[in-house]
Amino acid sequence: MANRGWDEFEIGAMLRTFDGKIDDIAGTNQEDRAYSKSSSFSASVADWRIEKPVFNKDFCIDCQFCWVYCPDMSIIARDKKMIGIDMDHCKGCAICVEVCPTNPKSLLMFPEQADEEVELAQWPTKEKKEK
Amino acid sequence: MLEIRWHSRAGQGAVTGAKGLADVISTTGKHVQAFAFYGSAKRGAAMTAYNRVDDKVIMNHEKFMAPDYVLVIDPALLYTTDVTINHKENTVYIITTHLDKEQLVASQPKLEGKEVYIVDCIKIAQETIGKPIPNTPMLGALMKISGMYEIDFFKDNMIRVLGKLPQKIIDANMIAIQRAYDEVK
Amino acid sequence: MAFDKMELKDIEVWDGNYAAAQAMRQCQIDVVAAYPITPSTPIVEGYGNFKANNYVEGEFVMVESEHAAMSGCIGAAAAGGRVATATSSQGFALMVETLYQASGMRLPIVLNVVNRALAAPLNVNGDHADMYLGRDSGWIQLDAYCPQDAYDLNFIAFKVSEDHDVRLPCMVHQDGFMTSHTAQGVHTLSDDVAYGFVGDFQPMNDMLDFEHPVTHGVQTEEDWHFEHKARQHNDLMTKVFPKIQAAFDDFEKLSGRKYNLVESYDMDDADVAVVCMGTSVETAREVASEMREKGVKAGVVGLRVIRPFPFFEIAEALKGAKAIATLDRSSPGGAPGMLFNEIAGCLFNTDDRALLSGFIYGLGGRDLTKKHLVEIFTQLQANVDAGKVTTSLQQFIGVRGPKLQFL
Repeated sequence: MANRGWDEFEIGAMLRTFDGKIDDIAGTNQEDRAYSKSSSFSASVADWRIEKPVFNKDFCIDCQFCWVYCPDMSIIARDKKMIGIDMDHCKGCAICVEVCPTNPKSLLMFPEQADEEVELAQWPTKEKKEK
Repeated sequence: MLEIRWHSRAGQGAVTGAKGLADVISTTGKHVQAFAFYGSAKRGAAMTAYNRVDDKVIMNHEKFMAPDYVLVIDPALLYTTDVTINHKENTVYIITTHLDKEQLVASQPKLEGKEVYIVDCIKIAQETIGKPIPNTPMLGALMKISGMYEIDFFKDNMIRVLGKLPQKIIDANMIAIQRAYDEVK
Repeated sequence: MAFDKMELKDIEVWDGNYAAAQAMRQCQIDVVAAYPITPSTPIVEGYGNFKANNYVEGEFVMVESEHAAMSGCIGAAAAGGRVATATSSQGFALMVETLYQASGMRLPIVLNVVNRALAAPLNVNGDHADMYLGRDSGWIQLDAYCPQDAYDLNFIAFKVSEDHDVRLPCMVHQDGFMTSHTAQGVHTLSDDVAYGFVGDFQPMNDMLDFEHPVTHGVQTEEDWHFEHKARQHNDLMTKVFPKIQAAFDDFEKLSGRKYNLVESYDMDDADVAVVCMGTSVETAREVASEMREKGVKAGVVGLRVIRPFPFFEIAEALKGAKAIATLDRSSPGGAPGMLFNEIAGCLFNTDDRALLSGFIYGLGGRDLTKKHLVEIFTQLQANVDAGKVTTSLQQFIGVRGPKLQFL
């Protein structure tokens, strides 16, 4: 795509989101949609990340705050239940962690190389509010 | 090529008159042009409008004109503008005035020796249409002096041109045209 | 929703504005977004009147500026509708930013430009300053010389602009007041015949096609911008002329009225020629035939298509002419003048290399008289006789004060 010549694309600086015809796009999960190469969904930005969020479902109350606030639509939710993070598009901004209201938080940031199993095993406990 | 220049005030209907005349003439197969000089002039400002008539397509778009007829539809313009500018030897003047011809020429010496006809379009318009809109009566006078068309043919066509106005106004205009046709001298 | 058709006489006495408004009505436009400005006001006023009286089915959007008018047209065109508007002068200048958006997005929009001078000093009358301002905007630009042309070229504009091989917006220019407010006989097409010529709008990449979602108006930086602009220029240079020619041919079959990319009059054996645009072309034609009666072999070349610029067609039209004058109706802003430069470009690599001189005329609506044109043709003949340009290369005509000439 990056090396195409002036005669090798459609006119009008216009981009197609999907290859071919689509129907019932609202009823189709993202991973099942025929996104075109020019859709940003087809491009991974995983390497932009220095820290990554880890999701601990034990504390999650499915409030959807992280889903609402994520600027890259990288929180994967199904039937209003948070099920994980789209690690191809998450840039590690930590906004999901910031807005998570549970105690302890259900999302925490760790170095990119951290082992998820290990971090979940030593997840912080509930903080007591100081009076 | 027949060329006509109108002297008017913005709002007196010279443009409508010129376009109406062009419309009527066009129905007889002749080629016509009607235009005006506009500035950012407001109602009451002196302005000029123009007609060209020819048997062949009119290609000339210059604004300069040495007219065959000069139609003055506001009496005071005779004194504040030069209605004789770019005149030809045989230019014919039809002038709206309440004066008689001798008084008129005496009041504006530039008209001396010229072919001048007078008609009081303002008075006619006021008495028929109820407003001092002297454009249609002037066309009645022009028909008489120029012999361009039979007055009945002209009036029939003007009814079509004025089409969208209320019937009462159209009727009044027809009376005005006929009166000017009869009264111009 | 049903709308009414209008009965027209074969010949109507219309000014250029009303002729354009009628053509717009007959094309059954989906969206007109407009902000009226003198002298183009009666186009949208007339169109609004048609809308109010149920002669138009589409939407009429009143906006807060010309920038918004063209923006509305761009949105509607991207959504997938037949779209048009009109403007002049300062309004055109305010539209300029969006003109480039429209052409870059390859949206078929028809813009009636009633040419008027650009301030300062403020002036409502006709010259070509706004037309010249648009000449690098990537639009197709057609030029009308009289109300008939203004009517006919609107149909050509929709037909060419909306063609899927073209998809470029198109301006139809007419001279402010000299065409826009001058009533002349206009041969009409019936509503059905006119609409049949332009045909139903065929959407392409439209945003209302929910089965094929598209993103319009994307950003490209150094990595893509050049390719897009190159593509647009390629299509202007290679695809537009054949489509315009085909539309002119079809239109001639339909109406008997023949238009050409470059209009040539009496050029077959002409020694002297003027090149100009707008109403001046017709006045110059009349003067050229009068010059021929006096023994001067005079001809006229008029640009019908300004953009894309008919480079070789103009060189061909001027072939054999010994002395040529270009007439620019726009303040040249420190240059010889657009027509002078472009015609010089056309002629430079030809064998004839005619004697070329330029004239600046008619700014702010100043009259171009037949007398001026006689002087120009006479000067050109003197150049032919002398075998060289005997005057300055740039002269002002019709301006008061000491003779103004440069170069």
